[in-house]
Amino acid sequence: MTLDPIKPAFDPVQYAVPIFVISIVAEILLARFRKARAAYEFRDTATSLAMGFGSQIAGLLTAGATVGVTVWLYRTWHLFEIPMTAWWAWVAVFFLEDLTYYWFHRISHERRFWWASHVNHHTSQHYNLATALRQTWTGGIAGTWLLWLPLILLGFPPAMVVIQKGVSLVYQYWIHTEAVRRMPRWFEAVFNTPSHHRVHHARNPRYLDSNYAGILIIWDRMFGTFTPELDEEPCRYGVVHNLGDFNIFRVAFHEWMAIGKDLAGSRSLREVVGYLIGPPGWSPDGSRDTSATLKAKWRAREAAAVSPAAAAETVPLQAAE
Amino acid sequence: MNETLLRLAVSALLVAAMIGVAAWARIARPVAPLDEASARDLLAGEFPGLSPDYVWIAGDGAGVIARAGDAALVVYRLGDSWVARSMSWRLALQAPVKRGRVLLKLRDPAAPMARLTVSGVQPWPPEFQSEELAA
Repeated sequence: MTLDPIKPAFDPVQYAVPIFVISIVAEILLARFRKARAAYEFRDTATSLAMGFGSQIAGLLTAGATVGVTVWLYRTWHLFEIPMTAWWAWVAVFFLEDLTYYWFHRISHERRFWWASHVNHHTSQHYNLATALRQTWTGGIAGTWLLWLPLILLGFPPAMVVIQKGVSLVYQYWIHTEAVRRMPRWFEAVFNTPSHHRVHHARNPRYLDSNYAGILIIWDRMFGTFTPELDEEPCRYGVVHNLGDFNIFRVAFHEWMAIGKDLAGSRSLREVVGYLIGPPGWSPDGSRDTSATLKAKWRAREAAAVSPAAAAETVPLQAAE
Repeated sequence: MNETLLRLAVSALLVAAMIGVAAWARIARPVAPLDEASARDLLAGEFPGLSPDYVWIAGDGAGVIARAGDAALVVYRLGDSWVARSMSWRLALQAPVKRGRVLLKLRDPAAPMARLTVSGVQPWPPEFQSEELAA
């Protein structure tokens, strides 16, 4: 059997579209008849689904460049000839693609330039299956796809990487729900789950910058970014500074606009670099909050609640804004 | 190309259908109009560590402006959720009122403007009880 190394034999996402539609309707109906936990605000839902629709168009517009570069690179040079028909090759691409996704996702949260592209996925204050489809319009331009090129250079055929990326995207769809509380213990230990991903979408300081996993949660456990969901601290969804309306263009471009505004007021190269690739919230004088400062303030408040004396030895309590 | 356009057309129809089902279901989170206690709870969640010394609640209960030192803490309802920002208290007091709503420029591309309902009972700027608040 031969498989085309360039053109994927199938697109997992296309096959999953009927499942997306049926499951979203099912989640809504189950919540409507109080059989499952879910909340849908219809304008929020409309925004999420419109973003998903728009991301298809944006993907088409940038596909020429991203596919062109990927295929050119593969045809120009790669280290090994990895056969698409070998079972071990699929096992290897499963793990390596998931590891790549972890780092893509982590960079997309911890560096502002890439956060500007990814933030839209986090702008809903709801967490339901429709939120999963609130996808980026600017990922192609932000260049995050470049992170997958090492797999191509290693010798994985582009079709193989594209199929595995699709599998990962489809897997991550079902974990965007409040209807599933916990999976079996062994599953929670190894795989990304609704519980782990709720934490990732939460804006509680305790949960910020956690659980970047795609399919396997093991990467967060290995690299120290795993935070478990605590029943005593329910997730509050959205971003630290939530959006002021449901305008899809604001959802797609607000952080890019904010970067532009900051760059226009920059007075040195240090400021330009900081505003572009510093952590989201970075400012030259430290007057804005990053995830790190929000967490530090939260820890100080927690310490103050337990022992005022201990709190005095930690970060001074400051205003949250 | 035709296949791509067909896929997009089908996607658009499915999106419209799902939005329709979500609108029909009416399963948004319940949000009651704010009163003093619920407004302070909301502010404590959005601005932890700050203790507002004055709280003004919008006429329809869908927003709050609180004073904490030199800052105005602004929270307003969006759908069944809330949006929070801070701004200068002085600028908040100068915010214009048009068509029964106070318009607060938040200077943030993510949330450029807050529009809070003003009523006869809750005018803006507020009628202060003390000169200290007005200062």
